[in-house]
Amino acid sequence: MTRLLAPTLASAVLVAALVVPAAPAAPIEVDKAVLDAQSQRIATIKKVHPAIVAVCMQGGQGVGSGVIIDPEGYALTNFHVVQPTGPLMQAGLADGKLYDAVVCGIDKVGDVALIRLLPKEKGKPFPFVALGDSDKVRAGDWSLAMGNPFSLAMDFTPTVTYGLVSGVNRYQPPEGKGLLEYTDCIQIETSINPGNSGGPLFNMQGELIGINGRGSFEKRGRVNSGVGYAISINQIKNFMGHLRAGIDSDHATLGAAVGSANEDSQLPPVVVKQILDESDAFRRGIADGDQLLVFAGRDVGSTNNYKNALGIYPREWRVPLTVRRKNERKEFLVRLMGNMDKEKPPVPGGPPPKGPAPVPVPVPKGGGGENAKMYQAKPGYSNWYFNVLERDKLLTAFKKHGDFSTVPGVWVIEGAYKMPDREGALKIDVVEAKDTAKVTLKMNIETTLEPLTQNDRALQKMPLGSGGLMMAMYHYHRFLTLGEKGFEGGFAHGGNEPFYPYPADGSVPKSLASLRVDCAVILTKHGSVNCRWYFSLKDSTLLGFETYVAKDSKDADEADPCEVSFYDYKDVDGRKVPGRIEVRHSDKRYAVLTPTKWTLNK
Amino acid sequence: MPTLKRSLAKIPTKQHHDTPTMFTRYSALLAVVAAVATPALAPAADPFADTVENANKKLVKVFGAGGFSRLNNYGTGILISSDGHILTVASQLLDTSELVVHMYDGQRLKAQVIVTEPLLDVALIKIRLDGKKIDEDNGLNLEKGKGYFDFDAAVKRGPAAPGDWVLAMTNTFEIALRDEPLSVQRGVVSAYTKMAGRRGIFEFPYSGDVYVVDAITNNPGAAGGALLDKKGELLGIIGRELKNSLTETWMNYAIPIVGKTEFKEKVTVKDKDGKDVEEEKTSTVSVPEFVTLALQGKYKQKKREEFIGQGGYHGIIFVPNILERTPAYVEDVAPGSPADKAGLRPDDLVSFIDGEPIISIKALDEYMKKHTRPGMKVRFEVRRGEALQTVEVELGQHPPKPKLPLPPPPKP
Repeated sequence: MTRLLAPTLASAVLVAALVVPAAPAAPIEVDKAVLDAQSQRIATIKKVHPAIVAVCMQGGQGVGSGVIIDPEGYALTNFHVVQPTGPLMQAGLADGKLYDAVVCGIDKVGDVALIRLLPKEKGKPFPFVALGDSDKVRAGDWSLAMGNPFSLAMDFTPTVTYGLVSGVNRYQPPEGKGLLEYTDCIQIETSINPGNSGGPLFNMQGELIGINGRGSFEKRGRVNSGVGYAISINQIKNFMGHLRAGIDSDHATLGAAVGSANEDSQLPPVVVKQILDESDAFRRGIADGDQLLVFAGRDVGSTNNYKNALGIYPREWRVPLTVRRKNERKEFLVRLMGNMDKEKPPVPGGPPPKGPAPVPVPVPKGGGGENAKMYQAKPGYSNWYFNVLERDKLLTAFKKHGDFSTVPGVWVIEGAYKMPDREGALKIDVVEAKDTAKVTLKMNIETTLEPLTQNDRALQKMPLGSGGLMMAMYHYHRFLTLGEKGFEGGFAHGGNEPFYPYPADGSVPKSLASLRVDCAVILTKHGSVNCRWYFSLKDSTLLGFETYVAKDSKDADEADPCEVSFYDYKDVDGRKVPGRIEVRHSDKRYAVLTPTKWTLNK
Repeated sequence: MPTLKRSLAKIPTKQHHDTPTMFTRYSALLAVVAAVATPALAPAADPFADTVENANKKLVKVFGAGGFSRLNNYGTGILISSDGHILTVASQLLDTSELVVHMYDGQRLKAQVIVTEPLLDVALIKIRLDGKKIDEDNGLNLEKGKGYFDFDAAVKRGPAAPGDWVLAMTNTFEIALRDEPLSVQRGVVSAYTKMAGRRGIFEFPYSGDVYVVDAITNNPGAAGGALLDKKGELLGIIGRELKNSLTETWMNYAIPIVGKTEFKEKVTVKDKDGKDVEEEKTSTVSVPEFVTLALQGKYKQKKREEFIGQGGYHGIIFVPNILERTPAYVEDVAPGSPADKAGLRPDDLVSFIDGEPIISIKALDEYMKKHTRPGMKVRFEVRRGEALQTVEVELGQHPPKPKLPLPPPPKP
């Protein structure tokens, strides 16, 4: 019922010229409020005008619209707009010039793509627009849509249309193969037509509140029928880290079916059904029949509410949710599962199921300018070039907190530890030489791990109940001292993600949701062990990391990581080290470590 | 385009020099037009968010019959009483005993048709709780103005004028379910007029007053939604999807709360000799009359004057009708008949009547019976040689048929 808004390349356009007699300037009394609103509107349009993009094939054939969101030339558009262009495209701006551009990150399910325009003169900033808060948009608000419908403007001057927001938090189901699902989107009567795809939707302050992408048409043909949809900017913000890092992003599922307990009843509760054993939701203790009350801060009143609340998150994000079981209310922190690689039952009568959705970015054809140098193909990424760029940017910022590459030898960390049932002196030794590696942990009892030779998972998870604290310390040492060289299995930027460190004073948080800190993530793999490293978006401090000894294990205890959070950073020889370390595993606090003495490179 | 620009530039100059009186009159007219078109009373800066939120509480999503051959099984309705009377469009949606409505808060409730009036194309339905009779107290107790529209006040307020701002709230495309709010659109009233329902152009039962609006409001599921003024007061009921088959354009209209329509009914009167004779009389039925009586359970559907019998007479003699779909080729026209007067000729192929495609002699006969009567002018489009000709035919009375001998009565 809804269709995407990319123009067919051969779309014939009839431009009806209306002959309007020029009115001699007869004085008309117009309400001041009307005139004020008009001049504000004109000012707003003028302000955002230079940042509107006409996305084109190489050569200038228009395929859609876009909008620049920062001075470096990053621009948002639809995934379905860059699908026909491939990784290299051109982009026309209102200045009439055509710029070379390259695809950066894509979100196929959400129908979003981030592209980057290259300036004509190196380093020259681009005009850009500010991002708004789409959660504040209400039905009945005014909005402006801009772009290049029907590829009308040969000089890329954007077309502007003006109208109401018809609805918010709308759900529009996927268009084939589970892609292009519009969750929590903004419905507008503001006219959008083929070619408006990927273009911006603004509030009357000129803040970007959405990316226009599709409409409901049915009988009236593929032109505006009064019902268009824009992807909300707040959803895109959740994916922004992924998009900038060139990741072929995916949305999430809970790992359970969620729906009305009874479609026919008056006000049915929304309940969890058919939970998957391998889901984190299951491991955290959510069960079939639990009533879902709140999902990531949103009340869940209906199935569509839930789809909207879920659909705005990338895979593997952790979100808090609240369920009711009998008369008990309980909050959980659940890591979401991926969406795209999940086997989907074939649609009866539909095309035979294919393998994973093809990466829409074929190897660029020869030629191309500067932008061709900014494209690198790699499975799982829409453009690996940007992953390296963002990753190295993050690591450079992190290095300001201390350069550990000069202290690759033995580390000795001494201090105290506290566990629920005991406390005492702490000593951690991490030895890493050419062919040997050994971690010794002394918390009254001494345990050791030789990570290179001991492949037994039970040993790797030692000490018991920690999820693998010694393995975590080994990777911590490795990450800080070796960096990329230490992770032959993978060393990539993982986009942005919320991190939930427990209160530094050890108190019980009033809600898990309140713990959220937004972080940039680095994903590493060494041997069979995966780690996620969380850096504060604010100042690139390493807030913590998770070590997965057996990420895909069916065993709940094995699949859960050892979670380490860092607090109270202090300076030791020009390097920042944590004064408090909290270790958690499977929703339980294992221990709090308070190191007082760090001997690095002994 | 350059020529257009030139001509635009010329107009004022020319008028200024040659026809000063015209200029004055012209500008005065323009000023009037501009004053009407300018939404001077509606500060364009006002967002409608609060208005929309409040109005949404007085509207329901309606689910009923349909879901096949492009007939949607969803629509919209307007609450107009504290116990859940709902005004909506008299569409096929209501042809079910399983009518369901979703309230703004997500409640799913059953509903039942009270009465429909096809002449007005409106219907009154009512929420019925499980296990309760339709006239039993259902305990809804909606609050006037907050939980339902004050219909009488809407009637008293009178119609909106062309140029007035309006909002349309509907469940267009079934975007909203349960507690999801309806969609809102805004526009201005383009005209308050009679539905020019020329049969064949609009295949439509209603020919009364309508608001024509400039927004694309009449999409699937929008029928029965509310047309509101900018303060959220009720003005009309959004109509159906309607396409003008002549211009291939879609019409966006609403039936005004104060709307009325004329219809012909047969009444028996005494002629001058004191004999009973049937006479055709034009009567009026209005939405307020319908709603007022229907809310009291007293409304009786009007008897409509159906075109029955043979329809209008054209006088065409067709080729022998030997096939299931014999094309409507003219063999001859009866001398002096309407077809003769209109200039139809042998070998003409009747292709359209009033824009409706005519595929066979049978279809033509049916069309004439159903949609025409003596005295009506209909437009025939005929293929003559390679060209399509348009011919207007004023239909006449059928000439008396020669009496055939009656067959003998069946033996008992």
